[in-house]
Order: sequence, then structure tokens, then C-alpha cells
Amino acid sequence: MVDILFIGLSLSSILLLVALGLAVTYGAMGIINMAHGEMVMIGAYTAVMANIWLGLGLIAAIPLAFAVTALAGLAIERLVVRRLYGRLLDTLLATWGIAILLQQAIRLEFGLSFFGIHIAGLGSGLQNVPVPGALQGTVQILGHDFNAYRIFIVAMTLILAAATWAVMYRTALGMKVRAIIRNPQMAAACGIDVQRTNALTFALGSGLAGVAGVLMAGFKTVAPDMGATLVVDGFMVVVTGGVGSLLGTVAASGLLGEFNALVAMATNDILGRAAVFAVVIGVILLKPAGLFTFKGR
Amino acid sequence: MAGLSNYRFWAYAGLAVLLLALPLVGDEFWLNRVAKYLCYGMLGAAVALTWGYAGVLNLGQGLFFGIGAYAMAMSLKLQSYTSLQQGSDTPVPDFMLWNAQPGAPTDLCCITPGSWIWLPFQWQWTGVIVAVILPAVLAGIMGRIIFGQRISGVFVSIITLALVLLVRLVVTDAQPLTNGFNGLTDLGWLTVFSHEFDPYAKGTYYLVAVALIAVLAAARILVATRAGTILQATRDSDTRALYLGYDVPAYQTFFFAVSAAIAGLAGMLYVIVSEFASPSFLELSFSITMVVWAAVGGRGSILGAAVGAILINMIEARVSETEALVEAWKAIIGILFVVTVIYLPKGLSGLAHDGMARLRARRPSFQLKEEAGQ
Amino acid sequence: MLAAGVRMAAEEINAAGGVAGRPIEVIVEDGASDPKTYAEKAQKLVIRDRVSTVFGCHTSASRKAVLPIFERRGAMLFYQTHYEGFECSPNVVYSGAVPNQQLGNYIPWILETLGKKKVFIVGSNYVYPREMAKVSKGLIEAGGAEWVADEYLELGHSEWAVMVNKIKDSGADVVLSNVVGDSIISFYREFINQGLSHEEIPICATVTSEIEIAAMGPEYAAGSYTSFPYFQSLDTPANKSFIERYRAFVGDPAATTYHSLEAAYFQVFLWKQAIEKAGDTSVEAIREGIRGQEYAAPGGTVKIDGDNLHCWLTPRIGQWQADGQTKIVDEYDAPIKPLPYAAYGETAENLFCTREGLDSSKL
Repeated sequence: MVDILFIGLSLSSILLLVALGLAVTYGAMGIINMAHGEMVMIGAYTAVMANIWLGLGLIAAIPLAFAVTALAGLAIERLVVRRLYGRLLDTLLATWGIAILLQQAIRLEFGLSFFGIHIAGLGSGLQNVPVPGALQGTVQILGHDFNAYRIFIVAMTLILAAATWAVMYRTALGMKVRAIIRNPQMAAACGIDVQRTNALTFALGSGLAGVAGVLMAGFKTVAPDMGATLVVDGFMVVVTGGVGSLLGTVAASGLLGEFNALVAMATNDILGRAAVFAVVIGVILLKPAGLFTFKGR
Repeated sequence: MAGLSNYRFWAYAGLAVLLLALPLVGDEFWLNRVAKYLCYGMLGAAVALTWGYAGVLNLGQGLFFGIGAYAMAMSLKLQSYTSLQQGSDTPVPDFMLWNAQPGAPTDLCCITPGSWIWLPFQWQWTGVIVAVILPAVLAGIMGRIIFGQRISGVFVSIITLALVLLVRLVVTDAQPLTNGFNGLTDLGWLTVFSHEFDPYAKGTYYLVAVALIAVLAAARILVATRAGTILQATRDSDTRALYLGYDVPAYQTFFFAVSAAIAGLAGMLYVIVSEFASPSFLELSFSITMVVWAAVGGRGSILGAAVGAILINMIEARVSETEALVEAWKAIIGILFVVTVIYLPKGLSGLAHDGMARLRARRPSFQLKEEAGQ
Repeated sequence: MLAAGVRMAAEEINAAGGVAGRPIEVIVEDGASDPKTYAEKAQKLVIRDRVSTVFGCHTSASRKAVLPIFERRGAMLFYQTHYEGFECSPNVVYSGAVPNQQLGNYIPWILETLGKKKVFIVGSNYVYPREMAKVSKGLIEAGGAEWVADEYLELGHSEWAVMVNKIKDSGADVVLSNVVGDSIISFYREFINQGLSHEEIPICATVTSEIEIAAMGPEYAAGSYTSFPYFQSLDTPANKSFIERYRAFVGDPAATTYHSLEAAYFQVFLWKQAIEKAGDTSVEAIREGIRGQEYAAPGGTVKIDGDNLHCWLTPRIGQWQADGQTKIVDEYDAPIKPLPYAAYGETAENLFCTREGLDSSKL
């Protein structure tokens, strides 16, 4: 039972890793960013490339991936998302196009493959990221063997969640973001530079996805389409938790992850996943605004 | 307004004539391909009906398409040569043989657990009827629950999305009943009054083309009725419509169900034309793709959405077959979507409307009601 | 990547004078891993471009979606991926392995040489793994051992925590893996990370190839096994030359070769021989001409069966090493006959699929 609860915890933390960035961009900015999964993918590829070209290990790749994906996010915000504020479903469609584009960019090595140039680490194949020895195998805690890498992920998720909370509730940027969530016109009237804040928020959300990507690279497949399913899971977590509520996102990922693990253990993985979808539908039907909501707006 | 609805009538009529005239110029292969795209066109219209007119974005439209496809495919599968020769009085799909437990009777009633559900599909019209009715009934129930709870916006999208993914998992898992991931292939042909609908014959093309024209006309008439007007009022402000005394959930549910029936019909026809049904119809990417078709064509226009779907697929086929672009066509399609959403928020039909409005420059402030909002 | 194998073969044939003096023209279409697209592209090739032969399709799902087009429109499909059998189409030449060529040697070897008694069977949730499991169960029971579980995961799923935990608790002493695609990588990694080892509970796979091993990191697979007719590590001059030419062809000095790629490559030569024997490129000519054709492929001699158009291949078992290559631990002296209906009692003496087609009364 301890084993399975731990597995549930690690599933939860993977959900949360992806959902954190979405909670920021969707919850705070009202952007449905379908390219969020591709930000995870770019983060993972940054780890691959950093290893091949710079000799950097997995952990050293984390800040690099944050920087790369935050910049990519900034570019997307400037070029596309900026023109679509207030058009929620249009952001979904436009970022879906971006997602396809990014996947193809990696597959075609940014178009260089047309000229017969091959870059190690890119292309349509699967990629490999070596994991530090200390994170392989198991760790014994209180007589139980735990998967070392999963402990590492749980710990990193906690750190990132705490950092996100700190940014949102303890910094000037976070205060502006929260003001914009409540009432963008009033925030602008109070002298908050909404455009700049939105751009920074989008970059932050994308950067978080990039970090998630590095962590995923350590135990999942690194391939151009790796992000496509993640973004759906992430959205379900954010919506189930309640839009705009960081606490709700954390609670929803905990609920869905543990539920997935328990059902999967009792029956099989397919039903485990189906059960997650069923819970999401159930929660929205019973509490249409999500588990946690704030009053107002 | 009279002049305007006039040109809309001509647009519909023009499309109808064009579709019916195509067999004069195309070969059988090309017609078969166009017939598929016409099915997609129906899907585009179905999306526009809920999204453009009811303001409800269904991200699980593939579910209804999939039900229609599977229902038809089940009937056609039982008519296929391989099903009929499995050495029993009743036809048995070949895949059930390799999914059966050793020693199970090779009869459709009990060869695999639940295989009796296939029994009524021996009559081909079961497939045809179920393909349209089941999506409508299911959508009716879903609509009653969702809209009854006053759930709206992105939450409806997430529920429909979760549902289609859930069904995909179940269909893939129930391999003894559905042939799982491989889907239903090797199908027979639809036979009406001893006329066989060969997918590559002109008759089959006409079947699809006439169905599309009928669907478009019916949907257009439907939105022009009182019910349609109330629905659009709901889209623009559901509280206002509610305070005016309309049973808003009932109207929304009705249009949701109509849209589902159209999607089911599209799935059914798609199977007749393409000869297979696959769980890939239930994938997220397919459901989003049809929303993109509607967006590019113009979500506020049923005709526009249908034409958008047909055009995008033709362009896609064209681009993906150009030697130099085999590798890059997906990227090009991605860019196309982004550009359309940013610069043509009303889609191609919005462009056409604006063009028409400009032609009538003496009435420059003319604004189409259907185009407002999303 | 498989297209590269076909292209390379075509280029080599053209450089040597083409087929019966005429050069081959290759048309490439992208099926985008989607049965809808595959069906459309197959229609285009067969009906509009009127090609008589298509090489390709990577999965059973895409093959099943295009099969009616080939059968009703009269064209040949050369299919290079190992698959589950239970097919007897006169319009397909199957150059990959069928279950009896991957499992007939494998299961007895696992039970006898490795001395394993309890088998945990795991696979991706579709027809190939399920058929492989069915064949395996028969062989396991015949060998006096037991299978303790038969579990499936969604295709493309990459979360293995629960499944590996089940393997741990099951008391199994060997895992038979029919997992395909990207899922393989997260499976092997999770397996090691939950503290299991290939020394005690080896993963014996039917699909894991050089490609997946390289992507997961060879350290996660070292000590595990795979059964395939071809491995990159085969130490023959023909294979060495093949690897060299392939790497030069794709312009990547570290490119890997694997079973499906080898099959994609050699099937073009079999096709050439069939046309040269029959004297024209019609479907009937290819079908008749290819029966019994032999070719010295990189992995040894292959032959298209005169009855069922499947391919005679040499079963081999490889153990993965720390360098990402295999050590061949068991191999047959000669290729064996393909039996696509082995799971249903087909034997070399009692064929279900013959020149006349499938005898369904035997099922």
C-alpha cells in the first residue's frame, strides 16, 4: 500500500509539473496554450542537446531549459498570443497551430534536413538523456524501497510549486498578475503595464514547462510528439482544480494522480486512465467552477 | 437585408450545382477523395452549428462521428465476404475468431463476451439508423445534464473532450468487440434495392454530395427559424434570454443533438466511402482539427465552415503530395492555422461577407448579426 | 526511416542497371501514423498513380486500413514489419517475421536454457501483442511452465510505475514483453529504477530493437534479450557492408540498422527478382514470380514462401550488451518456414494458407 500511495504521489507530481505552467498562463491570462506540451518537449530537447553539445548533465540542464523555453514563450506571446487576448477559444486554435509547427521544426531539424545537414539530438527519432547514477535504482526509507528518480521528481515539483507560489504571492510581478486576474481594466487603470506583465507571465509559464520537460526526459521518451498528451492532462488538472487557483491545481493533481494509481493497481492501467477522465467529468458536473474558486470577478 | 440573404441563397445554390457537376470533370479516384472531404464538410457544418450559433465549443465532436462510423461499419462488416464465410449460419467478423477464447462457439451471439450486441446489425439499416439516432440521443442526454447545470464555455469543451478520450480508451480496450486499435476494416458495400454503393462509383459520390447539400440546407433553415434566433440570443447573452422567459437549456440541447446527428451522418457516410472505421476518429487531434476547419471557413457561417473543411483538406492533399513538401506540409498547415486565426478571425466566409459589404459600399456600416461574438 | 531502406535499395538497383534494364522510380508518401491518411495515400498511389507495388506501412492498423484498396484494385503491398499473422492476402508480400519465427525458438529457450518457470506477459494494447501472448501461452504450457499474468497498456503510454510494481509483486522470474514503440523506453527505465534486474528477472522482448535501446540508454537493457531474425551486431561481411552503405546513404556515421529496416531493404531485391523472372510488372506476374525467390540479405538467406507469400527467416536470440548491441546467444542454422496461423494449429504439414487462399474450415 505504501508503494502504491507513493506511485500515486509521483503521478500527481508529474501532473502538477505540467499543470503549474498552465495554471499560470490559463488561470492568470485566460490563454488556452495548446503549445504548452511542446514547451515541455523543447525543455526535454534542451536537455538532450545540452548533453551532446555542452556535456551538461540532467540537473545542469534545468536552468538552461528554463531560459530557453521562457524565451520561446516570450516569442510566442509577442508574435501570436498578444493579438488574441480576450478571444479564449482562438488562443486554443492558434496555439494548436504553433504546436504542430514546433513538432515539425524538431522533426525537420529546423529545416536543415532539407539541405542534408543533420544535427545530433534533433530529428524524428527518439532521443536519449543520461540520468546521473545517484538517481538510478532505489533508495531505502523506513524499510521500503523507493524509486530514486521519482523521489527526485516529487522533491523538484514541491520546490517548483513553492517557487511559483512565492512568485505569485510574494513579488511585485505576482501582485500585478493577481490584480489582472481580478479585473484587467481596473489593473490597467491603476497603472499596471498589462502587456508587459502578460508577456512575463507567459514566459514564466513556458519556463516551468521547460523544467518539467527536463525532468520527464529522465524517464520518459524524448520524441517530437511527447508533449501532445501532456497538455490535455494538464488542462484537466487546472480546470478540475478551479481556474486561477494555485491551491486548486495542487489539490486536483493530488486527487487525480492518487486515483489513477489506485484504480490502475486494482484493475489495469487502461481503466486507471479512463477513471481519471470520469473523475474530471464528474467534478465539473458537480462543481462547474472547479474544486477551488475565489469569489468575485 | 433582402439583397444580402439573396446572395447567401446564391452561395448555397452555387455550391450545390458545383458539387453535382463535379463528376463531369473528375475521375473515380478523385471523386472518392472529394466524397471524403464532403463528409468532413458536414463535420465543419456540425461544429459551426454548436460553436457559431450556440456558442458551445464541442471538443469531442469526434465522438459522434465515431459512433456513426462504427455503427455503419458494424453492419457493413457483417456483409463482408470474410464475415460470411466463417463457417456458420450467421456472419461472424474475422477478428472475433482470433479474439475468441479457445472452444467458444463460433456464433455471433456468444463468440466473445458481449458479441450479441452485433446481432441487430445483421440488418444493414440498423447501422444506418443507429449511426444517426444514437449520437442525437446521447447528445440529448449530455446536453440536458450539462446545460441543465448551466455549465458553459470552456467547461463544456473539457467535458466533451474528456468523454471522447474516455470512449476511445474503452473502444481500444474492448478488442473482442471492436477489434481495438486496428478498427473495423475489410467491409462490405452498402446495398440499397440491390444497388451496391461501390466507393469508387459516381453513385456513391452523389449519395454523399446530396446528403451534404441536404444537411446544409436543413441547418440553414433551422437557424433561421425562431428557435435558431433564440439560440443566437442565448449565445450573445444567456442570462438575458433566460430572463426573457426562454428555456435556454432546452434550445441549447436541441441544437447540440442536431449537430451530433449531423456528425453521426458524416461518420456513417465516411465509412461507406473509405471502407474502414478506426479509433483514430476518437483522437483529440481529429476533434480539434475539425474545429480548425470551421474556424478557417468561418464559424459563424454553416456554409463557410463546410467549405472551409473541404478546401483545407484539398489544399492539404495537394501540398502533401508535392514532392518538395512531403516532409514540410504539416508545418505549412500549422502556419496557415495561426495566420488565419490572427488575421481572419471570421474565417473565409467573413472575408466573403466583408467583400460583399464593400461592394455595397453605399451601406458601409452594415453588420451581420451572425458574425458577432464567438 | 524505413523509406530510407527502400530508397537505398532502389538506388543500388538503378546503379546496377535497374530492373530488366529499366530504372526504378520511387514515389514517397507520408502516412503521418494515421490510418485515415494511410488509406488516402494508398488510394492515390494505387488508383491515380497506378503503381503496381507499394513498399511500406509500419503498423497492423495502417496495413488493415489499406488492405481492401490493394485487394479490390489489384496492387501489391510489400510489408516489412514483423506482425501477428492471421492474414493470407494474395496482394501482400510479408517480409517481416511472424510469431512462429520469433517465439517458436524463444519460449523453449527461455524455459530450458534460462530455466525460468513463471512468466509475466506484458504488451501494448492491440492485436499484435495479444496474438503474441496467445502463441506464447501455448508454448509456455507445453513447456511445463506457467504464465502468471497477461497485462496490457495503452499504446504510446509512458507511465509504467503501476505495471512494474505488479511485476515485482507477481513472483514471476521472467518478463515476456510485447510492448511496442515509445513505451519501451519508459518501461525499461522504470524496471531498473524500481530495483529489478535483468539477472534475476530478465525482460525477454519480441519488439525491442536497436532503436529503442539507443534511446533509453543501453545500461537499462544490458542483460535482457530480444528475439529477431536480424540484429545490427551480426558478424558477417554482408551485414558489415550493409551497415556501411546505409550510414553513407543517410549521411549519419552512427545510424542504426534493425530488423524492419533490413526487411524494407531486401524486399526490394526480391521484388526485382520476381519481375525479372515473370517478365512484367503486373500484379499477377509479381505474385507468381515472387514465389520461392531467394536472396542473400544482410542477415542471411531469405526466401518468399511459395504458399503464403510470407518470408523464410532465421530465428535468432540476442542478449543486449552495455554498448547497445546484442550478443547472439542462440540462432538456427537455416531459415524456417513462416506459419501465419501457427496460433491456430497450423504446421508445415497442415497449411491453412496456401496458393488457393485461406482454408477457413481449418480454423
